[in-house]
Amino acid sequence: MLLKRFNRTQRLSHLFLMLTFLIQSGTGFGRLFITTDFGRSLCKIFGGYEAAIVIHFWVGILMMTGFTVHIVYLIKRIKRRDLVNSVMGPDSLVPGPQDAQHLFQRILWTMGMGSPPKLDRWAYWEKFDYWAVFWGLPLLAVTGVMLKFPLLTTQVLPGWTLNIAALLHRAEAILAASFIFIVHFFIGHIRPLSFPMNEAMFSGSVHLEEAMQEKPLWVERLKQEGKLEMMKAERPALWYRALYFVFGYSALGFGLYILINGIVYGRFIQLH
Amino acid sequence: MTEVILHKPFARLRFTRGARIWTVAIVLALSAVFIPAVWAQKEVTSKTYRSREREKSTGRYEQYEAKPRLYQPHIRDPRPRAELITLAPTAEKVRFRKYLADSHVGLRFYERRTCVSCHPQQARSLHAVRAKITCRQCHGDEPIAGNSHYNSLMHKRRKYAFVCAKCHKGSSPSFATYRIHEPSPLSLTTQKTFPVLFYAFWFMVVLAVGTFAAFIPHTLSWGLREFLPPTFRLEIRRYLPGKKKNNAAD
Ligand code: HEC
Ligand code: HEC
Ligand code: HEC
Repeated sequence: MLLKRFNRTQRLSHLFLMLTFLIQSGTGFGRLFITTDFGRSLCKIFGGYEAAIVIHFWVGILMMTGFTVHIVYLIKRIKRRDLVNSVMGPDSLVPGPQDAQHLFQRILWTMGMGSPPKLDRWAYWEKFDYWAVFWGLPLLAVTGVMLKFPLLTTQVLPGWTLNIAALLHRAEAILAASFIFIVHFFIGHIRPLSFPMNEAMFSGSVHLEEAMQEKPLWVERLKQEGKLEMMKAERPALWYRALYFVFGYSALGFGLYILINGIVYGRFIQLH
Repeated sequence: MTEVILHKPFARLRFTRGARIWTVAIVLALSAVFIPAVWAQKEVTSKTYRSREREKSTGRYEQYEAKPRLYQPHIRDPRPRAELITLAPTAEKVRFRKYLADSHVGLRFYERRTCVSCHPQQARSLHAVRAKITCRQCHGDEPIAGNSHYNSLMHKRRKYAFVCAKCHKGSSPSFATYRIHEPSPLSLTTQKTFPVLFYAFWFMVVLAVGTFAAFIPHTLSWGLREFLPPTFRLEIRRYLPGKKKNNAAD
């Protein structure tokens, strides 16, 4: 049986973030590495050094628009009547003390001690992935806008803040991209339980046995609340499945392409 | 609640054999597309540079025979990394040439050397590396006045108008405080010359190292653990002295 996990809005948000993030990495790292063959071939995809920055800027604006829309969506999802439960409850992504406990249990379990953490709907690493965006995106947006309009910025701030902005923009981009291309991709694709691909974010559903293995508390809670039958989902159509497999692997390939080349060519660039 | 089912690595792999082969084939094909770029880099990036090295020609040869690249060739010549001139904060105090109208007056072999051979650090700026702007486009032709000489174009009173505004129209004195030759945030002297840059850099390094030091071992060991059977237990007791008997009883 398939269990519904993500609705259409959530999946579209993820797809949106995925596409914009990959375009930003392509154009951004293409420009950062422009003095190497890797950077030039990456920029060529987007029409060269000059075109890449135009795309980079507008996709950045698009990303921030999406981020704002998401915040509105988030605020709308909070139930005023049931404030505490909707913010701190098990269906919320807000981290709580139990997440630290789960992390601890997970570490012990990987070393062969105790049992795996009994996770509810959102695991601690999912929460981390989610909230990391809230630190990364605004930082990249602010520093990016500063660098895009250096003359306007320096009417308010001294010029040396541009040095800092450039440094932060690059360092944060490298941090975010390597986190996604190493940790996020590993969890979503390579970990034995998800190999060859964790389809939940695309099909919107997970297999019940898998959910029971990985998120036992969630399934238990659904059962107690009698919602399990309601959450039954359809099997995704074969063409759709094929589509997102190809798409997912293209994203993976693109990410690894940037990651590997970035490591190989890293010594030819500088952060500032 | 149903008992948690047997541990199943690759539980998600509900694929026929054909589909599995296809997945592997797609991955291989993708890597074939992407990986070769890694090998493509050569020691010397410019084709023309090498053909010149092997045969002396009029220089026209390269224009007709070798297709020019889209971008200017980036020749990675081995640059001196050591500083000939220390511009450290301590040295800053005793430097007098920065107040001279010709900062290179009396330097031997000055004409025969390139700027970069004596000022390697300065060649690593964004303007030089990315925009291919030459030293002279900013520092002007001979004589190159010290940056602090009162009448120098590089003096902070007029730098924004006479230097930056050539290219950045509308530049202001505030804009011109941007450090063209950024000190390396890695070096300790930066802590004194540009503390904000120094601390911003180390903040990001600590953030990145912290994130990866926590997540990479965690995620990798977790992935590996899923390969092991669920019955896997670390029998610490077995290794503790004096507990052997208990163990045997188990
Ligand atoms: C022979 C080595 C040599 C070469 C070649 C050389 N410089 Fe210098 N330059 C120096 C020395 C030594 C100083 C003095 C540094 C000091 O004051 O401590 C100096 C000072 C300067 C200063 C003033 C620094 C200040 O703080 O005000 C500038 C600007 C400068 N050089 C630019 C250039 C440019 C541009 C070129 C290429 C056209 C060039 N130099 C070529 C050795 C050289
Ligand atoms: C975009 C304009 C620009 C270009 C191009 C440029 N400089 Fe400078 N240079 C400056 C400014 C402005 C300063 C004043 C200090 C600063 O902003 O870092 C400076 C300072 C210097 C100094 C004094 C020491 C220091 O780092 O502050 C030296 C030496 C120097 N430049 C050499 C060079 C050499 C050699 C090149 C060519 C590789 C070069 N510059 C290219 C603008 C430029
Ligand atoms: C000869 C032309 C030229 C001069 C002179 C020049 N610049 Fe630039 N500058 C450029 C170009 C071209 C770029 C874009 C580099 C890139 O991103 O590839 C740039 C980029 C910059 C940036 C980064 C802005 C961004 O959006 O990333 C700053 C800041 C800057 N210059 C400051 C200065 C200052 C301060 C001076 C005066 C000391 C100066 N420039 C002099 C051509 C120049």
